[in-house]
Amino acid sequence: MRQGGGNRSRLLLISLIVTSLFLITLDLRGVSVLDGARTGTQNVLGPFQRAGNVVLSPVKNFFSDITHLGRTRTQLENLRIENSKLRRELIIRRNADGQLSQLKSILDLAGTAEYKVVNCRTISQGSGQSFSETITIDCGSNARIRTNMTVISQDGIVGVVKEVSANTSVVMLATDPTFRIGVRVAGTQQIGILSGRGSSTSTLQLLDNLTTIKVGDVLLARGSISNRPFVPGVPVGYVTDIDNSAGEIAQSGTVHYYANFNNLGVVAVVVGAPVTNPGDALVPAKPTPKPTPTVTIYVTPSPTPTN
Amino acid sequence: MLIRPISLSIPVFLIVFTFQEAVVNQFNLPGGGFSIFMIFALVWAVISTPEIAALLGFGAGFLMDLSLSSGGRVGQWTLIMIVVCYGVSYLGYGDENISGNPVGVVLFVVFASLAAEVLYIVTALLLGVSVGNINQILLILLGNFLWTLAITPIALPIFSRLHLNIFETRSSL
Repeated sequence: MRQGGGNRSRLLLISLIVTSLFLITLDLRGVSVLDGARTGTQNVLGPFQRAGNVVLSPVKNFFSDITHLGRTRTQLENLRIENSKLRRELIIRRNADGQLSQLKSILDLAGTAEYKVVNCRTISQGSGQSFSETITIDCGSNARIRTNMTVISQDGIVGVVKEVSANTSVVMLATDPTFRIGVRVAGTQQIGILSGRGSSTSTLQLLDNLTTIKVGDVLLARGSISNRPFVPGVPVGYVTDIDNSAGEIAQSGTVHYYANFNNLGVVAVVVGAPVTNPGDALVPAKPTPKPTPTVTIYVTPSPTPTN
Repeated sequence: MLIRPISLSIPVFLIVFTFQEAVVNQFNLPGGGFSIFMIFALVWAVISTPEIAALLGFGAGFLMDLSLSSGGRVGQWTLIMIVVCYGVSYLGYGDENISGNPVGVVLFVVFASLAAEVLYIVTALLLGVSVGNINQILLILLGNFLWTLAITPIALPIFSRLHLNIFETRSSL
């Protein structure tokens, strides 16, 4: 260990620490210059993130495909040389098809509720230096995106816009532990508050102690004043578990989100809310059970020879 | 005297920062992933003098603060990186068993990265920045620790060679 740092070293260290504390104080006081610096940085990084997304999409899908192929290493080695070019084209095409399919489903959902949406692609997922669950999308204030706008996928709620620059925005995902959304149960109209907890499930807390929920109940966004941050009627998730603890004032439960947060290639930001509340119009159709054919075999005893 | 190496360091820092934001952040890695930029800054800090390490920490932390996805207050990462970079350099510089030994550098970087993350949580709590629940924090700390432990030995030769070329004072590891 080095003994002593010298006066110059200490002076430099103190100066830098004071500067950083000065920056924190400015940020806490809401000085717009710092927000501008962040937005400017994002504006500069935006094209690089978009390029990175385009370049790395085949790589990300390629690794995913290898995982699912289930073939032996030797077979892959032999086939890779022969098919590399073809496979790359196929992956790019599959990626485009997947995004097209997601986009179509989002537009179907938005069209049913008469939401005005801006479709965006995910260009970055979270950050290694942050504890919040976020994605970065390739739309910003130039596409009329503002903070506190609802973000949806083809399945339902994804999150809410937290930061906006000219051409990109950061979306806080519904899985973030600080995420809160007012919900109502489709049909019964009971209301509650849903809290993210860092996974694909969340916690529902009902507000009325006289009401009850049951497994399978569908939850929709209740909507906010002036429709920000949440527009009404967006499917959120369904109840998978109920906590009937005697000590609870009101019932609580576990909710599984409809959105698949591992597959957010394309999302839509709701820039215009519907004139009328869509009500339960967006409740996802329950899967129809397939009838299982049953075969009944009647055993007929063969005639026994009589002596 | 330091103007030349510092001015040469700036584009290198910007390139690594852009690589972190445009490439590394593209992958949704388990356990929260890793920050190649933080690894880079810490490697340079370990093999630099404390004065340079503090300046490097200031620059690296300020860039991290400018990232929209960093989530915290502007200046928060700056403060943490100054303290951590100066700390690792102060402890390691002059001791060849640490700064001259790749294993020592890797261990210093890994634990310094963990310390930086913990300091971030502590300062975030003090400044009223939300950091999530305890389970998620522990998962990310563990994930980040393991990722840094895996990535640092791979990146160390490149980063130390860059440091050698720019500062021309230390031997490459």
